[in-house]
Amino acid sequence: MNFSLSEDHLFLRDAANTFLSKEVDLAPLLVPGATIEQAGYRQMWDKLTELGWPGIIIPEDHGGLGMSAVDLAMIVSECGRFLAPSPLFGTLAGTWAILAAGSETQKQQWLPGVAAGDYQLSLAIAGADGDCERTNTSVQVSARGDDYRLNGNCHYVVDAADADKLVVAALYNGARRFFLVDNAPAAVTITQLDWRDITRQVCAVQLNDARARLLDGNSSDVWPWIRDRLYLVLAAESAGGLHAVLDDTVAYAKDRIAFGRPIGAYQAIKHSLADMLAEAEFASVAVLYAAWALSSSDPAAPLAAAMAQSYASDAYRSATARSIQIFGAIGFTWEMKNHLYFKRARANAELLGSPQCQREQIVKILETQHK
Amino acid sequence: MDFNLPGEDDPRRIEVRTWLAEPSNRGYKALAEHGYAVPHWPRPWGLGADPELQLIIDDEIARACIRAPHHVNPVPINNCGQSLLKYGTDAQRERFLKPALACEEIWCMLFSEPSAGSDVGALRTTARREGDHYVIRGQKMWTSLAEKAQIGVLVARTDSSAPKHAGLSQFLVDMNSPGITVTPIVDMTGEQSEYNEVFFDDVIVPADRLLGSEGDGWKLSMLQLQTERVALSRPGAIWGSGPSARELMEGLIASGRIRDPLVRDEAARLYVEGEILRLLALRSLSDRMNARNSGPEGAVRKMVAAPHGQRVLDLAKRSQGVHGMVKDRNVLPMSKGERGPYSNWDHAFWWSPAVTLGVGTQEVLKNVVAERLLALPRDPDPTRKTPWSSLHAQPAPEQ
Repeated sequence: MNFSLSEDHLFLRDAANTFLSKEVDLAPLLVPGATIEQAGYRQMWDKLTELGWPGIIIPEDHGGLGMSAVDLAMIVSECGRFLAPSPLFGTLAGTWAILAAGSETQKQQWLPGVAAGDYQLSLAIAGADGDCERTNTSVQVSARGDDYRLNGNCHYVVDAADADKLVVAALYNGARRFFLVDNAPAAVTITQLDWRDITRQVCAVQLNDARARLLDGNSSDVWPWIRDRLYLVLAAESAGGLHAVLDDTVAYAKDRIAFGRPIGAYQAIKHSLADMLAEAEFASVAVLYAAWALSSSDPAAPLAAAMAQSYASDAYRSATARSIQIFGAIGFTWEMKNHLYFKRARANAELLGSPQCQREQIVKILETQHK
Repeated sequence: MDFNLPGEDDPRRIEVRTWLAEPSNRGYKALAEHGYAVPHWPRPWGLGADPELQLIIDDEIARACIRAPHHVNPVPINNCGQSLLKYGTDAQRERFLKPALACEEIWCMLFSEPSAGSDVGALRTTARREGDHYVIRGQKMWTSLAEKAQIGVLVARTDSSAPKHAGLSQFLVDMNSPGITVTPIVDMTGEQSEYNEVFFDDVIVPADRLLGSEGDGWKLSMLQLQTERVALSRPGAIWGSGPSARELMEGLIASGRIRDPLVRDEAARLYVEGEILRLLALRSLSDRMNARNSGPEGAVRKMVAAPHGQRVLDLAKRSQGVHGMVKDRNVLPMSKGERGPYSNWDHAFWWSPAVTLGVGTQEVLKNVVAERLLALPRDPDPTRKTPWSSLHAQPAPEQ
């Protein structure tokens, strides 16, 4: 038993923190009408590539860094802390899809290029109603021998516009299968959604007879395996963001004077911040446990991942709303960062299903264990 | 990093289990002599055990269906005993510790008073030095175990010319001294009284029962209230005892009540919070094992655990519907095993309003978290620096 982070983990976290604090500048987003491009979404990717982050989770024999889920959590929670706009999420999602569903040959074919930063990935999983658990039925697959063609629409696809290749989930022969599609101009039309969280790129994708390669994996476990890892990513982001919001709000409460005292001297404010501290600590512990469980293939990993994602989502949403309240009216303006965190929190709590959905998954697991 | 707990085949676990299987070892005297009453203390009292070994010993004592020594005699084992190691005299250690650890002499803590609860520094009980003894006068309240305790750890005011915290001292008092009256407080559960009022009517306490020096009372009391045993692997709803969120979930599944969609989501939410509480307890334990500062977790954990426990008990009770109003221990199916006091859902529920009151109210705890951990401004206490005697007219001492 050793729940403490190792020196290596702490070093990685601090290095990510130092790097991102220098490189991320949200100021351009605090101007009305700003878009994600203005915050250096594309430039950030080049810098992350220099650090090798596109290959964090890619095994070494496929050209990546082969790091663990705990290492990943260190990096991603710092990305969440700074709201680093970058296509990391999409590439992680696409990579896991290839790792889970690709044959050895397919992995060898595509993953070294991802690790080297030659191309970005994206994963199209959600249906028109945003549900990721049922297969998106708005994509049709036609096959003539090995020539697969996809037609239809993919929804809420993160980091699609800049991706070179999309992994698309679609119903084929009665099962959810994963296809790799090149982001080619005529065959793939991508529209960026007018997404409220301008620190993340989310798109609608239209496939027009797009040539696709079928990933060989044909197990119903593929999506849950990917999903548990994506839960970890979102939960780690949320936990990191929650700590940033806590730090900012505490600093403001010490600084802002009302009725002759810093507002943080009033119990209505200080008690709210004490609760926020507790939730930030709880979210971090849940994330670490999930990261450990995933990296050590512990049987409790699906439970741990769902716990982390449901807890961190709720806590992040609640903290970002309270942060605006504690800042007062200035926190409601576009020029402050509060709304960026508020919107990221709401997005993180919806992209892979609501916290209620994850809690339903938790109860199902426990019911199965009870039998 | 490794979240695995010491396994069933851990050699230390097997050693403890084997030792406990011997019938002659099952008494509290044997446990104390073997160091199992206070494994975390240094030898000869304990084993100087690391937190992992403490966890194993706690687990195995519970598994052997022995009520844990720290439940039988919590005051010396959890809170006050260690003060004697550091601040007591040789004679005090010799006289008091052995019978306390063997659970032969039960202790109680005489801190709170009718007008000094969360603000315990405002206590009014006085200890007046007269030759080779002190004379104690005043009233204590909310004292657990006073009805059976042989020894009381008393905080009283020895110097009323000093500000409120500075004028306090601690004493080890014989609870059967003449002039002590113990009266049970009937709490809202209406069941067996947990707490007492204790009246001191010019009680004589020999001067060698002073713990530390005069004026150490506040410092010692704070240390004793903050001493926390690492025994929270199962976060029960009432100060770590009683049923947990895991047991709530098991009970709701076993009874079929989990099928109600509202119960289902709420139970899952509590389950998640309960598991994180458990992980946090283990992480602070692990941090201590790695000689790393365990961060804000202790105070924060307590702040979350108390209302969490209330919500766990509340959902268990609501899941019964109207029948929950009938006095009946049979609330939810529950696995067997020693879980300390408050071991049935019904009693625990009616007890639960106390959880955010005892050992400092929830509001005071939130102040502590905000002020100590977030460095937010302290709440003002206009009486903090003023000599006690100029704040309170003292009754004329009786001659």
